Amino acid sequence: MFATLIAEAPRFFTYWNMVFLATAVGNTLVMAFAGCGLGLLFGLGLAVTRAERIVHVAPLRWLAILFVEVFRRIPVLVLLLFVFFTFQLLGFSLHALAVGTIAIVLRASSLFAENFRAGIESVHPNQWDAAEVMNLSPLQTLRLTVLPQAWPVILPPMTIGLVGMIKATSLASQISVLELTFAARQLNQRGFSALIAFGTILVIYFVISWGVARLGASVERRLVPQHRRA
Amino acid sequence: MNYTFQWGQVTGHIPYLAGGAMIALQLAFFGFAIGMVVGALCAATKAYGPKAARRLVDAYVSFFTNTPLLVQIFFLYYGLPDAGIFLDSYQAVLVGISLNAGAYLTEIQRAGFMSVRRTELDAAATLGFSRLQMIRYVVVPHLLKTLYAPLANHYIVMVLGTSIAAIFGVEELTGRALNVNAINFRSFEIFSIAAGMYITLTIAASASLYWFGLYAFRIKAKVF
Repeated sequence: MFATLIAEAPRFFTYWNMVFLATAVGNTLVMAFAGCGLGLLFGLGLAVTRAERIVHVAPLRWLAILFVEVFRRIPVLVLLLFVFFTFQLLGFSLHALAVGTIAIVLRASSLFAENFRAGIESVHPNQWDAAEVMNLSPLQTLRLTVLPQAWPVILPPMTIGLVGMIKATSLASQISVLELTFAARQLNQRGFSALIAFGTILVIYFVISWGVARLGASVERRLVPQHRRA
Repeated sequence: MNYTFQWGQVTGHIPYLAGGAMIALQLAFFGFAIGMVVGALCAATKAYGPKAARRLVDAYVSFFTNTPLLVQIFFLYYGLPDAGIFLDSYQAVLVGISLNAGAYLTEIQRAGFMSVRRTELDAAATLGFSRLQMIRYVVVPHLLKTLYAPLANHYIVMVLGTSIAAIFGVEELTGRALNVNAINFRSFEIFSIAAGMYITLTIAASASLYWFGLYAFRIKAKVF
């Protein structure tokens, strides 16, 4: 097993194979970062729309709940295929990378909305009343009073969610996006053993996810005071 | 958009898809059961084992939680034959899902073990509880209370995760949806029905796990 690995290594780690893998890493990162960035934005938006103290129109809140409940209960693979075929039906021809990103955004915003909601709900209602007495608008209350107290609840699951989204991009290989998993399958089909092809990308995925986890931990150190950290 | 929906061509396949949903639940259940055993062993090793074993468990957990399940199964499915181990697609997927679940369940169970405080056991000993009584009345209720919600959530996440099995040719819900798609190419209709079935399936699973927790253990758990 290891003998084949060593025998193959010089043939595998050539310049053009590395360029191929680097392109794939680029696409994985584009999907993950665009997906998570927009997902964080929409997630916060959905959580705010759902908050009774901010939005007083009940049907709007129900719509936000419906969106979250639908998209977090569909597996990423089915969501990808669904988005893929919806655009086919609408007659758009969209780049597969864009389709992958849209699916990731849908999933990420519904998952992150739940994280934000849990955080917002963890702050005692008295805080809202106090802020109202101080003449803060609902959005100011959210930004200045509620969110600072909610970070200890929001951040730990958020880091796990971000890593989860990076891992979810691997499924975009099924709609022919040239990302890491797709690249590894191509290399495997070109005759490299699965051990070296998939082993290499497992290590790359690990490094990316680990980096994001470290980033999450450092954001947590910055935003959450010592005594409130879990 | 000049597309005529043809739901009629797909609705006939719903029982076939529902059978796939059962396979998804079953796959998640077996994976969860094996993962629980792996997780319990690893969590116990992390709490009481020698240092080298603890390091090994840490490496296992961080490797399997930081890499995609899909690639892990690819690695097993295409890589193990090189090592002389031959698995069919269902077995390879089950092994991958179980190992992945094992890593997550290690962390969940470890957190549960940690939540039983030394002082509670001391208090029970002071009250004259025997060792069995201590486990029955102090440790188990405590573990159930802290572990039930995260475990139930992880089971539902795993049900969604089983859709990956379709890529390896296991005919569960997603795999069967792909089969129906190959028959009549009503892709939009099929995948919206499949998505709807996943939503129904997980809502039903959430509700039953909630009621089970409430009546069996008197735990009000927030399930997914």
